[in-house]
Amino acid sequence: MSLRDDLAACLPQLRRYARALTGDAAWADDLVQDTLERALARTSMLRAHSNTRAWLMTILRHLYIDQLRKHRELALDADDPVWQRLEAPVGEVGGLLLLDLQRALYRLPLEQRDVLLLVTLEQLSYREAAAILQVPVGTVMSRLSRAREHLRMLLGSDAGSRPGIFKVVRQRP
Amino acid sequence: MTDDRSSTALTTGPELERLSALVDGELAPHEQAEVAAALAHDVQASARVEDYRRQGAALRSLFPLPTDVRYVLVLPRRTWWRRVSAALAWAGAGMILGTGGVWLSTREADPWAFSRHADLAYAVYAPEQRHPVEVAATDQAHLVEWLSRRLARTLTIPALNEYGYTLMGGRLLPGAAGPAAQLMYQNQAGRRLTLYITEAAPQHASFRLLRQEDRRTFYWASAGAGYALSGQRSEPRLREIAMDVCSSVGGNPQGWQ
Repeated sequence: MSLRDDLAACLPQLRRYARALTGDAAWADDLVQDTLERALARTSMLRAHSNTRAWLMTILRHLYIDQLRKHRELALDADDPVWQRLEAPVGEVGGLLLLDLQRALYRLPLEQRDVLLLVTLEQLSYREAAAILQVPVGTVMSRLSRAREHLRMLLGSDAGSRPGIFKVVRQRP
Repeated sequence: MTDDRSSTALTTGPELERLSALVDGELAPHEQAEVAAALAHDVQASARVEDYRRQGAALRSLFPLPTDVRYVLVLPRRTWWRRVSAALAWAGAGMILGTGGVWLSTREADPWAFSRHADLAYAVYAPEQRHPVEVAATDQAHLVEWLSRRLARTLTIPALNEYGYTLMGGRLLPGAAGPAAQLMYQNQAGRRLTLYITEAAPQHASFRLLRQEDRRTFYWASAGAGYALSGQRSEPRLREIAMDVCSSVGGNPQGWQ
């Protein structure tokens, strides 16, 4: 398999990850583009990295954080201007429920969203996620746990108005 | 935290992390068995595990794997071109962004988008134990009247009894281009099927299959309505039921053969 075939095979997953991370389709496409560009410029590094997909995701994530910093939008939350102009997945998959989930997702601190997406969406192992995030496995576990609880709380808080989607959850002290 | 074995113990970080690890299959076999056994006695902890699983299913539905082949084929080639224009980075970025925009807008106009909504609605509501439906089948006259009014069309509720499925009821959902109805059926083993009906579908009848994880959705259009039958049954079986549903709602499944 040539390197380009190898990269092409990773594209659907890479693009999904970018869309989930940014919540913005255009930004995500740009990010994938930048990632490939960088990957192709540094193919020598791939040999040291046996897992192409993880390598690409690491690059993509670094680029994303760089771009966030440039935009001075590190604190991404519901009131963030980036969030205000997001429209990507809502129109595509649609529905009230998705909108809620999406909103909740982007209200998570970046470090929680990051690990949640790697493990639940991309279904990476804790070790793979730890390698991409460059943190110990224990940190992956604690962030992931906090992310899930946080999401539960965010989605549970308005469950009263629409029972049956997510159960009502009270955040415990 | 002491040896308090009730669910309050599960509010501590390490215990929650173990529940997460259980969901992710990251526990050692003996731990896995231990945590699973503890769950049997802890309603709150098992609800929590269920919630974690649901979060994952909903996230995966929110961000389906892109299937657009053009994108995959075109991208690597364009990358070379873009490297050349790296010196003109902003112009390059603008063009890529523009191209992406065109691609996305054509995709959003996908008249079959309702199938993904149907699949998602199945993923979310089919596991629901307490509130699987908004209006129960016991009040079928009201169910038909209510959903027909909201969808602005006379709704036919197909009977699936011959396949062992009885109607549980239905709910109204926001669809891609208006309201959508989800009818839920269940068999004696507790397996569920949903029939999703919405407006704004293609006029021409066609028949397709959407695969998402272990879920299968057969979908088609008939007389301006889109139908999608979702379940976790085998494809041939679900196809058979879908064809039957199609004819009972006035479609012509012969064209699918």
